[in-house]
Amino acid sequence: MTAIRLALRLGQWGLIGFAIVGFIATFINAVAFYAVAGHTPAEREAFARSFAQIASQLTVLLPPAMRLDTVGGYVQYRAYGSLAILFAIWALASASGAARGNEERGLVEVVVATGLSRVRVLAAHVAAFAIASFVAALAASAGLMVGAIAGQESFPIGPAIEAAVLLAAIAVSCYSLVLLVAQLVARIATGIAGAMLLALFLLNSLSRTFASLHTLRWLSPFRYYELSTPLPPGGNFDVTATLVLVGIAIVAGGLAALAFQKRDLGSALFALRASARPPTYEPSSAPVWRVPIVRDLYDRRIGLATWAVGVSAMAALFVVLTKTIVQPLLSIPGLAVYFAAILHGPIYQSFLSALWFGVAQLLVAGFAITQVGRWSAEDTDGRLELILSNPVSRTRVVIERALVLALGALIIAAVSGVAVGVESHYQSIDLDAGRLAEASLMLVPVTLVFAAFGALLAARLPRATVGILGTFAFASYLMLQLGPIFKLPEWVQDLSAFKLYGQPLIEGIDRTGLAIMVAIVLVGFWASAIVMQRRDVGA
Amino acid sequence: MPVEAIQTSKLSKDYGLGHGLFDLDLTVSPQEVFGFLGPNGAGKSTAIRCLMGMIRPTFGSAHIFGLDCLRDSVAVKRKVGYMPGDMPQFGSLRGREVVAYLGGLRGTIDPALVQKIAERFDLDLGRRFREYSSGNKKKLGIVLAFMHKPDLLILDEPTGGLDPLNQQEFYRLVNETREAGATIFLSSHILSEVEHVCDRVGIIRSGRLVKVAELDEIHRFHVHRMELEFAPGTEIPEAAIRSAAGVEDVVVEDSKVTCTVKGTFEPLLKALNGATVTNLASSEPSLEEVFLTYYRPDAPTEAIAR
Repeated sequence: MTAIRLALRLGQWGLIGFAIVGFIATFINAVAFYAVAGHTPAEREAFARSFAQIASQLTVLLPPAMRLDTVGGYVQYRAYGSLAILFAIWALASASGAARGNEERGLVEVVVATGLSRVRVLAAHVAAFAIASFVAALAASAGLMVGAIAGQESFPIGPAIEAAVLLAAIAVSCYSLVLLVAQLVARIATGIAGAMLLALFLLNSLSRTFASLHTLRWLSPFRYYELSTPLPPGGNFDVTATLVLVGIAIVAGGLAALAFQKRDLGSALFALRASARPPTYEPSSAPVWRVPIVRDLYDRRIGLATWAVGVSAMAALFVVLTKTIVQPLLSIPGLAVYFAAILHGPIYQSFLSALWFGVAQLLVAGFAITQVGRWSAEDTDGRLELILSNPVSRTRVVIERALVLALGALIIAAVSGVAVGVESHYQSIDLDAGRLAEASLMLVPVTLVFAAFGALLAARLPRATVGILGTFAFASYLMLQLGPIFKLPEWVQDLSAFKLYGQPLIEGIDRTGLAIMVAIVLVGFWASAIVMQRRDVGA
Repeated sequence: MPVEAIQTSKLSKDYGLGHGLFDLDLTVSPQEVFGFLGPNGAGKSTAIRCLMGMIRPTFGSAHIFGLDCLRDSVAVKRKVGYMPGDMPQFGSLRGREVVAYLGGLRGTIDPALVQKIAERFDLDLGRRFREYSSGNKKKLGIVLAFMHKPDLLILDEPTGGLDPLNQQEFYRLVNETREAGATIFLSSHILSEVEHVCDRVGIIRSGRLVKVAELDEIHRFHVHRMELEFAPGTEIPEAAIRSAAGVEDVVVEDSKVTCTVKGTFEPLLKALNGATVTNLASSEPSLEEVFLTYYRPDAPTEAIAR
C-alpha cells in the first residue's frame, strides 16, 4: 500500500490535471450540444443528420458516431474519442516517467533497497495509475452529467460509470504497454513507446477506411475501446472487449515485471554495447556554441524541429479538413449561427482564419509554456546558477531567453505558414500570400505575450507557472471559440489573450492588438528582468 | 595596499528560525588557500552563494578584489571560477558541449588547459552528461571552474564523490594553481581535505563563523586525549577528575581512566591529588578530533573562539 500511495503521490498533478481536462471536455461538449443542436426533436434530428456527414469525413481519426441527436451520443463522439487519445498520452508520459525518469533520479534504487520486490514496485505503479485514471475518468463522466443538468436534462449514472471504466481500461492498457517498452530500451523509451501507441492507434483508425488492415486491428487496444459505446441511448458496453483491455494491461505489466527482474537498474534488457572509441578531452570547437542566442537555439534544436513539424502537420491537416467539412458544417442550423458570428469574408479563408489560426495560437502558447517551464527547471536544478557564475548579467539572461523564444516562434510560424500555403494551393483554396505571411508572423507576438507573463510568473511562483499559464491559455482559447456561441459579454471575450491577434488572414494586421501585445511583451520582460535582479537564484 | 581577494563585513542571510548566515566577517588574502569548514546545513553554501551574487544578503556586504559582489557581479565573475556543490543536469549534451556552451558564455577559455585538466582526471568529454557518474560530474565541475585561469576559485565541496586518487590529483591542481598566483576558497566538511591544501581555515557553525585560524594554530589547540593507569589498590579520584576544568569525556574502567583535556593539564594534575599513576599517555589530536571536540552541537559557540 505504501508503494501505491507513493506512486499516487508522485502522479498527483497528472491526476488533478486530467481530471480537470476530462471534466471540462465533457461539460463543454454537453453544454455546446444544447446550444447548437436545437430544442425540438426535429431540430435535433436535422442536426444529427448534418453532423453525421461531418463525422463520416473524419472516420480516419475518430470512431463512427451514433445518436448524435442526444447529448450522450454527441459527447461520446466529440469527447470520448479525443479523451482516449489524451489518456493514452497521459499513460505514455506517466509510464515512461515511472520506469525511466524515476530510475534516472535514483528513486527506484531507493525504493528497491527497502526490500520491496521489483514485481511489487511495478505492480504498485500500475495499480496507482489505474486508480488515478479511473478517478479522472469519473470526473469526465461527472462533467457530462453536470452538463446535462445545465441543459435541463438528466443523464443516467450507469452508462456514465461504464464510460469511466472503459476510459480507465484503455489508459491502463496503454500504460502497461509503455512500461514494457521502457524495460526493453532505455534512452529513447519515450520516443519508441510513443511511436508504438501512435502506430496502434492508426492501425485501428485506418482499418475503418482500408479493408486490408481489418485482419490486424485486433492487435490494437483502441479497437477494443471503440467496441463499446455506453453513452448514447441504445449503446452498448462490451464486457468482453473491456476485459481484453484489462488483460492487455495484466499481460504487458507481467512481461514488464519479468523484464524488470532480469535487467540492471539504469539499463535496458536489450542494451547495445557502446562502440569502442578513444576518449575525447577537447572541448567542442563548433562555432555555434560561441554565438549568443544561436547556441541556445542549437541546444534545443530537436525540440524546436519537433514543434515546427508537428504544428505544420496540423496546419496541413486543418487545410484538408477545411476543404472537406466546411459545407456540411454550414448546413447545421445551430452551427451556422456560430459561424456567422466568427466568420467574416470568403468562406474557406474565414474558416482557416478562425479555426486554424485559433488552434495555432493555442499551440504556440503551448510552445511558450514549455519554454517557460524550462526556465523554471533551469532555476531549480541549478543550471541557471552555473550560467550566472559566468560574466553575464541577469538582465542579459532574460533578454536572451526572450530572443531565443522569439526566434523559435518565428521558425514555427514560418514553417507552418509555408505548410498552410502549400496545402491550400493543392486544395484550391485561394489565399493572399501577404496576408498569410502576416497571419503567420502575428503568431510570434502571441507566443511572446505568454512568455512575458510566464517570465514574470516564473520569477515569483516557479512551481505554479506552467499550471497557471496553461489554464490561462486554455481559458483564452475557450473564450475565443465559445464566446460567440454562448453570447458572452464583449468585455469577457476581450479577456482572451487571443483576442489581440485579430483576423490577419482576412482583415490584415490589427495594429491596435499588435501594439497592445508589444506593450505587454516589453512591460512583462522588463518587469521580469527587475524581479530577476532582485530575487535569489534557486529560491 | 593590496586588495583582499575576499572581504565580507557582517554578511548575513536570515532564512528565519535560526537558519542562514549571520555576521560573517572574513578576509581572504590573494594567493591564499582558505578552507571553509562546517557540517551540513552550517551555512557554507549560503556564504558562497552570497559571494557569487546568487542570493542577496539580508544585511552586510561582500567584496571580491574590491568589487561589490552584487553591484559589480559581472566584473566579479570575470575573475572567479565557480564550482557548485551539485552539478545541474545537462541531459543529453556531451561533456565537450557543456564546456563549449559555458565557455561561450564566458567568452574566453583555453582549450589546451581544458584538455590538460580533462586528461589529468581522465574525464572523457565525448560522453553524454546523463551517462556521467557522480564522480565524473564533479570532474566536469572542476574543468569548468579552472578552464579560464581565474584569479579566484570558489569551490563548494569540490571533492565529494571523487575517489582517493582523483582527490590527490585535485589537491595537486589546487597547489599548482595557487603557485601560479590564484586564490582559492573551498568549503568542505572533510577535515583531511583542508589539512592537505589550506593555509587557513574558518569554522562555521549554525550560520556563525566561530574560528579562523592558521592550520598550525588549529593543530596547536590544547586538546589532548589522555590515558591514565593507576597503581593497583589506588583509589581513583573520579569525582575530582570529572569536575576538573577542561576535562571531558571521562571513562573509568577498572584502574584505567581515559579523558579529553582542553587547555592546560594543571586542573587534571591537581585533581589526581597524589594518587599513584603508573602509566600516563597523551596523544596528539587529529584535526578531526580537534574539530569534533569544539564543534559538538552542545559546545558553546564562544568556546572555540577563545
